[in-house]
Amino acid sequence: MLGYIVKRIFIFIPTLIVITLLGFIISINAPGDPVERMVSSSQSGGDIGTQSLSQIQDKIFWRKKLGLDLPVFYVSLTSLSRPDTLYRIFDKNEREAMDRLIDRHGNWQEIQQYSNSLNQFYNSLMLFSPDSNEIKKHNTNEVLENMNQLKYEVLALKSSHEPVIIDAKFKKINTILSIYPFFDPFRSPFNSVIVDYNKIPAASTKWKNYIPRLAFYGTQNQYHRWLFGDGGQFSKGLIRLDFGTSYTTKQPVSDVIFSKIGWSMFFALLSVILAYLVSIPIGVKASAKRGSRFDRTSSVILFMLYSMPSFWLATLLLMTFANTDVFPWFPASGVKPATGYPDDAGLFEKIKLSLPYLILPAICYTYSSFAFLSRTMRVSMIETLGQDYIRTARAKGLPENKVIWKHAFRNSLLPIITVFANIFPAAIGGSVIIESIFTIPGMGFETFLGIQSNNYPMIIAVFTITGFLTLVGYLISDILYAIADPRISYK
Amino acid sequence: MSSVKEHITFSKNINQFDFKKYAWAQFKKNKPAYYSYRILIFLAFIALIAPFIATDQPLYCKYKGVSMFPAFSFSNNCEIRNEQTGETENLQFDITEWKKLDAETIIFAPVPYAPNKTDYDNAEYVAPGAPQLFTNKDGEQVEMPSRFRHLLGTNKGGEDVLSGLINGTRVSLTIGILSMGIASLLGLVLGALAGYFGDTKLQTSRGAFWTFLLGIIFAWYYGFSVRSYSIADGFSISSLAMVGQLLLSLLIFCFVLLIFYFIGKIIGRFPFLNRSVFIPVDSIISRCIEILISMPLLILIISVAAIAKEKSIINIMVIIGLTGWTSIARLTRAEFLRVSTLEYIQAAKSMGFSESRIIFKHALPNAIAPALVAIAFGVASAILIESALSFLGVGVPPNTVTWGSLLNAGREQYSAWWLVVFPGLAIFLTVTIYNLLGEGLRDALDPRLKR
Repeated sequence: MLGYIVKRIFIFIPTLIVITLLGFIISINAPGDPVERMVSSSQSGGDIGTQSLSQIQDKIFWRKKLGLDLPVFYVSLTSLSRPDTLYRIFDKNEREAMDRLIDRHGNWQEIQQYSNSLNQFYNSLMLFSPDSNEIKKHNTNEVLENMNQLKYEVLALKSSHEPVIIDAKFKKINTILSIYPFFDPFRSPFNSVIVDYNKIPAASTKWKNYIPRLAFYGTQNQYHRWLFGDGGQFSKGLIRLDFGTSYTTKQPVSDVIFSKIGWSMFFALLSVILAYLVSIPIGVKASAKRGSRFDRTSSVILFMLYSMPSFWLATLLLMTFANTDVFPWFPASGVKPATGYPDDAGLFEKIKLSLPYLILPAICYTYSSFAFLSRTMRVSMIETLGQDYIRTARAKGLPENKVIWKHAFRNSLLPIITVFANIFPAAIGGSVIIESIFTIPGMGFETFLGIQSNNYPMIIAVFTITGFLTLVGYLISDILYAIADPRISYK
Repeated sequence: MSSVKEHITFSKNINQFDFKKYAWAQFKKNKPAYYSYRILIFLAFIALIAPFIATDQPLYCKYKGVSMFPAFSFSNNCEIRNEQTGETENLQFDITEWKKLDAETIIFAPVPYAPNKTDYDNAEYVAPGAPQLFTNKDGEQVEMPSRFRHLLGTNKGGEDVLSGLINGTRVSLTIGILSMGIASLLGLVLGALAGYFGDTKLQTSRGAFWTFLLGIIFAWYYGFSVRSYSIADGFSISSLAMVGQLLLSLLIFCFVLLIFYFIGKIIGRFPFLNRSVFIPVDSIISRCIEILISMPLLILIISVAAIAKEKSIINIMVIIGLTGWTSIARLTRAEFLRVSTLEYIQAAKSMGFSESRIIFKHALPNAIAPALVAIAFGVASAILIESALSFLGVGVPPNTVTWGSLLNAGREQYSAWWLVVFPGLAIFLTVTIYNLLGEGLRDALDPRLKR
């Protein structure tokens, strides 16, 4: 038995790796640049043309903290034309523009030169401190506005890749440069940008795009860092339960999860226990009196419950029992009074205060697994009751109760145990819907919020944890299976 | 020659037991399943002609002597020339207020409202039975004529609920059928391969095996890596362009793989490379299924739907299809394990038929029954997932009216019970129909389960 468990755990490892890989692929393909969002949300004000020095330093810090300054994976399948070091380009849009230029022309050397001269041009703009006497001849505000416009155009140029757009930007920069005589020092860096850009299509080596190449990056990559951490500097890694930093609150995701997992687990466990408690007697009774009125009505009701979408039932319940116009019996959202518990409330008092909040969600959590379990129980019980040894037991003259509970029941438990593994993750996965309808502060609601605000570390954490719990559910159901059926021996 | 023919007709006569006929008869006996089947055909019919039963453009209109069929026409406008004055009037079909038009004859669709169009007179949740307003030709607000009543009420924007429901039928049924189409294609093929070949029946030369593995990398490179920006641009143009680009990539992928397959055949003739190796098809596919089963699918689908740059129903269909094939593959695999040991397969093999012919022509028709049941249940769950996603507002374009999005609108105002009850009922009914159908199929196709 122990050997079997160890073997199963070893089989889980590839599955877990695939789950983390999938989560990772989703998170790196997420739209938008998280650093851009985190920095701009903290320092509003200041338009795009004037990135302050502190803002840039902030960005570098967050890039390092989130590990975005590393290559994505251990290996990557790239082309001969692409350099290994493209990931070092600071800005996501700029990086994509460079990559698309390579895709168009296939000569990294010229593109790199163009990019360098563009950067030099931009730096010369940043260092611009003209003779104050010169400026005084003009309207100061106007000069500043034109300067900002110039910086904005150069920044936009950095993240453009289409020839038409680049040419248009060149023209625009040219017109701005010709406004004031003291802009003349920018002429020479700007001209070198144009010269370098024109070199790119001239020396195009597009064929290099079609020759594949494997690039190896070693363990210094984002995936490895996400899994194993970077030695405790910024991240401890997934294996030490560090799920990264939330994009919205900048808190560690694991803190958020541990504060939220309680309610989710509570409802998941409650629903599993309630479902088993109710469904087993119903299934047994329906199968024992097969064809009776109880069997027929319960079958129809269970079938309808089984097909009922949980979000519809939840909305119907809220509409009826949490509606001040119909039956204002239950509160519509949350798990405790809006003012919180009183300070001197004991555990019993807290339960009493929370109880009305919990009833409607508990119904929604429970009914679908309950319907499913009852139906499974009924079918497997019917199958068992048709066996020969049941007929023998009846022939011996045993009372019907004893036949059902002692002889048939235990043997028809097996399918119920098998579905245990399916119910556990379903309770957590399905909770996204129910928790967001009832605004229960659990993991499902947090996932929903994460999806709405593109908070990918949160989503991926929930995805990985749920995947892990599913595997644990399978293991537990296998062990229970072996306990319930002595014929099964795992060797 | 004639004796052979006679023999064939004779054997047909004595072999009168036709499984398909038997299964159909069994299915017909199951009343709930049979009625669900008929309701489903009705729903499919509604979905097919939805743009003609629920639209604000009339089916037929005669205006100033000109006959038009706005709902059926592809063009969006009609020019009407007045013979006396020589003036032309341009009717643009999608913005004309047909109900106020002074037409000679006009025949409206059964539900004379489009799902996305605002009726300003009846905005802010008008109940089905409540008094409804109508602005007539003279601009006076009067009681709504019974022909134009919103039979199932309106939502906050004054959009007709019944029209939304009818057009939502289309979305739901398409999602169910297309996503399960993808899933059954994957599930049937992979399950058949796993069950038929097992771990020890597919062997090839060492050279061919390694060349093929290398070919996968190259095929991926030329199909998808090189074209990544073309695909991304396709995504941002339209869902049709996206599908086209993806199909082109897939074509290149298969083509490159085919080239490597033939190279492998040649390489596999050389010494050392011509040793035979077994390809563990069954283990590979079973492991894939196991991994996919332990994945939290709803969260996976939600997060993948959320990262798509362009929100589109097609994305959701593809995701559900790519993740929903496991149960079909498992059942097909089990059935193939049983079928491939039967005598007629041995006979087909001894006659020298190709493997693909045996798998798809001889074995698959006899192994498809359990998969059909799984497909019926799969359609139900695909519809559920789609409506849950549009209920949460994840991954579905905001201007698409679906049952889930209608239901979601009802959450803002619980007194508007018609927004909750009718769309929910539609989802519930469709899911129930598919579940009943699945149960009926199971009972009809599997004689062992007959009770």
